[in-house]
This record gives sequence, C-alpha cells and structure tokens, in this order.
Amino acid sequence: MASGKAVDAVYNIEPPAPARKLRELYYMAHFIHSHAAHFYALAAPDFVVGPDAPPEKRNILGLIEKVGLEIGKEVIKQRKIAQDIQIIVGGRATHPVWNIPGGVSKGITPEDRETLKELANEQLKFGEFGLKLFNDVVLGNKAYVDLILGDAYELVTNYMGLVDENNRVNFYDGKVRVVDTEGKEIIKYSESEYLEHIAEHVEPYTYLKFPYLKKYGWQGFKEGAGTSIYQAAPLARLNAADGMATPKAQEAYEKFYETLGGKPVHKLLATHWARLIELLYAAERLVELVNDDEILDPTVRAIPSSIPSEGVGIIEAPRGTLTHHYWTDENGIVTKANLIVGTTNNNAPISMAVKKAATKLIGKGGEVTDGLLNMVEMAFRLFDPCFSCATHSLPGQMPLLVEIRDSSGELIKEISR
Amino acid sequence: MKTIVIGLGNTLLRDDGAGIYVVRLLRRLIEELEHRPEAELIEAELAGMDIIEKLEGFDKAIIIDAIQLRGFKAGTVFRLRPDDFRTTPRLASFHDIDLVTALELGRRLELSMPEDVLILAIQAEDTVTIEEGCTSVVEAVIEDVAKEVLTLLTGKSGKRVSIPLGPAKET
Repeated sequence: MASGKAVDAVYNIEPPAPARKLRELYYMAHFIHSHAAHFYALAAPDFVVGPDAPPEKRNILGLIEKVGLEIGKEVIKQRKIAQDIQIIVGGRATHPVWNIPGGVSKGITPEDRETLKELANEQLKFGEFGLKLFNDVVLGNKAYVDLILGDAYELVTNYMGLVDENNRVNFYDGKVRVVDTEGKEIIKYSESEYLEHIAEHVEPYTYLKFPYLKKYGWQGFKEGAGTSIYQAAPLARLNAADGMATPKAQEAYEKFYETLGGKPVHKLLATHWARLIELLYAAERLVELVNDDEILDPTVRAIPSSIPSEGVGIIEAPRGTLTHHYWTDENGIVTKANLIVGTTNNNAPISMAVKKAATKLIGKGGEVTDGLLNMVEMAFRLFDPCFSCATHSLPGQMPLLVEIRDSSGELIKEISR
Repeated sequence: MKTIVIGLGNTLLRDDGAGIYVVRLLRRLIEELEHRPEAELIEAELAGMDIIEKLEGFDKAIIIDAIQLRGFKAGTVFRLRPDDFRTTPRLASFHDIDLVTALELGRRLELSMPEDVLILAIQAEDTVTIEEGCTSVVEAVIEDVAKEVLTLLTGKSGKRVSIPLGPAKET
C-alpha cells in the first residue's frame, strides 16, 4: 500500500476518491488479519498461559487448551474473513496486483458490496470481542496489571504515528505526527518532507539501521526527555494522536489512558492493549467504508499523464510508520529507492527495551530460568517485529567474512560464506 | 479422497516461486487429460495460520514449495512429511506459526485436517533476486515435479524425481 502511494507520487497523480476508499477498505482487512495473528497466536500465550509457563505450553496450542476451542476457531474464521475481504476487493490477499498508479485496477459490484457488509459486521464483533477478552483475562488479573505497570517494561521515548486532519489515528493517509516524551507535538510532516525530519544511524554490527529525529541529532541509545529516539507501533500511534476516528475505538482509547494514568503511556506491554484498540478501529472503519456508496463508483483510476520522477508514500503498517521513497527514470523504472520500514523505526527502542527488561528482571546472581528469559523476550515480542522487512540488504550472498587471528594479531585463516 | 495441491511461494523472487510454477504447469497438464483427476489446485503466497483454512476439509494435501537446505544441489527435489521438519511449538517466526504447528492447531480445533500431507520441496538456487521466473537449474525440474504430482493424482506409474531427505547426497 505504501508502494502504491509512492508510485502515485512518482506519477504526480491523485487517485479518485472511490479508489482511495477501496484501498483503505482493503487495508483495514489486512490490519485486522495481521493484528489478530499477533495478539492471539504470539502475544496472548504469554498472558493467558502465563509468562513463565513451559515453552511447550506457552503457544497457541496451550492458549486454546486454556481458553477453549471456540476462541481458536473464531480467530481462524475471522482471519479467513479478513482475507476474503481482501480477495473480493483486490483480487488477492497477499501480493495483490490491483494497486496501480492513479488508483486500482478494478472496482466492486453491488453484489460484492452486500457480501462485504456481512463480512465487515462479523469483523466488528470480533474487534469488540478482543477488547473484552483483554479486559477479562489481562486487566482482571492483578499480577498482569502489575507486570504492565512495572518498570521492567517501560521506555521513555518520543512517539510517531500518522494522523488525520483532526489528529486522530489513521492507517492509510494523513500527516506524520511526532510527540515528545510528555506527549507534546514536536514534529508534523507530509510524506515528501520525511527526510527533513528523519535520519538513520548505522552501527557496524547490524544491517538494520537506527532511525532518529534529526531535530535532536543522534545521541546514542538514550531514553528520557530530549532523546532523539522514537517509537512507531500501536502504542506509539495512540500516544502520537489525540484520539480515534471511530466511536467504539475512541471509547476504548479513553479507557486506555484513564486506566494507565494519562498520556503518553510509556509502559511497553500496553502495546498489546493498544493493538486491540487498533483492531477495533480497523473493523469500525471497515464497516464505515463498506456502507459508503462512493465505493460503488466505477471511477477507480486516474490515468497518469506526467513524466514520472520521484515520489514518497507513507502509511501505517501494523508494525509502525512505513515510508517508501522511489526515484525513477522517465519511463518509470526505479533507479533508487529508500524504505523506512515499520520495524526499522523501532530498532533502537527494541534494543533498549530488551536490555532494560533483562537488567531489571535478571537480578545479580539470580538464577536465569526459562520463564525469565521468556519475560525478556516479551519486551521484544510486543513490537511484533519483522526483521526480514526491516533489514533490506539483497547482496545475493551472505557478505560475511570471518578473520581468525593469532595472539599477535596475524591473520591465520579467513572463512567466508 | 478429497485432495488439494498447493503451490507455495512468491513469483517475484526467482526460485521462491517454484511451487507456483509447478501448479500452473500441472493445471495445464490436467486440462489436456481426457479423464481428469479430482483435485483442487491453488497457488498461494501464505503459510502459517492461513494454511489451516486451505487444508480444511481435505483428506490429502500435496504442498510444493522451494527450500534451501545447507549443502544440497539446487534443483534437488525432496519428498518430505510434516514430521521431517524438526520443530517445536516455540515460534520459528515472530510473525506466524509453522506448518507443523498449523496442522496440529487445526486438528486440536477439531477441524478436518488432511491425514496425508506430502511436501515436495525444490532446492532453490536464488530466492533473493527480485525477478520473475526461476533459475535455469530449478526451471529444469519444474516439469518433472508437475508430472510427478500428476502421477500421484492419477495413481498411474511414472517417473519420480523426488527423493526422501535421508539418502540425499550433500554436494
């Protein structure tokens, strides 16, 4: 979706409103699909089965053992519905070839729309169910609330998210807003302005870069007021916005901040709660869009007429703000590209969160149990990271060279892959 | 017996699309037959939890995908069963669950999962170059794999290109 918007910008063309709405509709289903997998299959076992449960139980199989088969069946069903929505709208749920310069390759029929209405209503119930489950299982358990509010999973940084004209969370379009550690707006930029505000720090030990706010300059892995580090994930999106654009999600948003002591929330485990609020928002927005008559308008593409050159597209990926920037020749062939992927934004925060959890949870001289290690992993997992997306190196081979030197520093062997 | 054949992969990443190309060819081979075997053929770019819904309701599944095992010659075709994938219920990916866990999850959810799951895995040479079409060495086995699947579907004898993992020779 980000590449689609970047290509629109390359051709300097604005897709017609029906196309934009169909793209957003498709994308809401994708969000539900992605967030549901993370919460139910990856995150919930930590809370429902328990953070220190044995690994063979702390997984989705253990989860259904504990909460019952019906929830498992519902998750599978709802993820299928999300995929079906994407197939109806965009032809394919993964790697669609429907998003084209200036719009989309096809519209939908009135019959499609009736089916979509039914499916969207199912997704909305599922969105509400997720928050109820979180309320009952996590917030209803003092030990888990203490875990969320504890200092092992706290990181004080700036927060980034895409917002609409009223500063409400938006996944498809708007401006990128950054708030500081106290929740005050410090930066707001349009897609084409991202390089004025974001830079990437490089460390020699990783292919993955560390984005930071240019305004403050790279200051190392430092949290607290004045840091240049920012987060961009569900918690960051809620912190960076003034609210949600749909009523039920807004209600959940208000409860979130009331419960956690106001904005911004620096408690990282609250990301799971934020993710479920976003899932509900995506479902509500889905319902709004399928009921919007404009999605039936067959004008779903504006034909590009200008010579392509350069363009930036930004959306909110489930894992954070996603920026695609392409430079092309006059035939539209990409000559250079820059991507800042959701997880890339969170590279420094992930590193810092893991270090902090390990430092706080593993006491000096204490036994490092499997449960403790999992609790350190939880600091990593909450970001729903995708390192394969974030590490964009395609050299065609592993450019890894190991040099073995003797005690005098003389090279005795080189091993390469 | 209800059978599904799933070609997995991404055709934009060279050999990663091998499974998809096999299914596309298989579809053409079946169309040429007078007595066509009953099987559903699908192309998919998915894995993990999403595969559960595809497998549900079938007795037998044949999955064709690219694989990269260390030390094997590109174009080698392995005949694998889910148990061949050494795995644990711990996560292999931070995004999703693996095939074995997906099958187990489907069964525990009392969904009708195929008892017979065969994976034909084609050793890839290149899965990182963004380009359509396979490398020549993988392209060379696509037809053989499609024909092998066809013999499995029709029950007729034919050339078998796949080998079990055990006797495969490292190069």
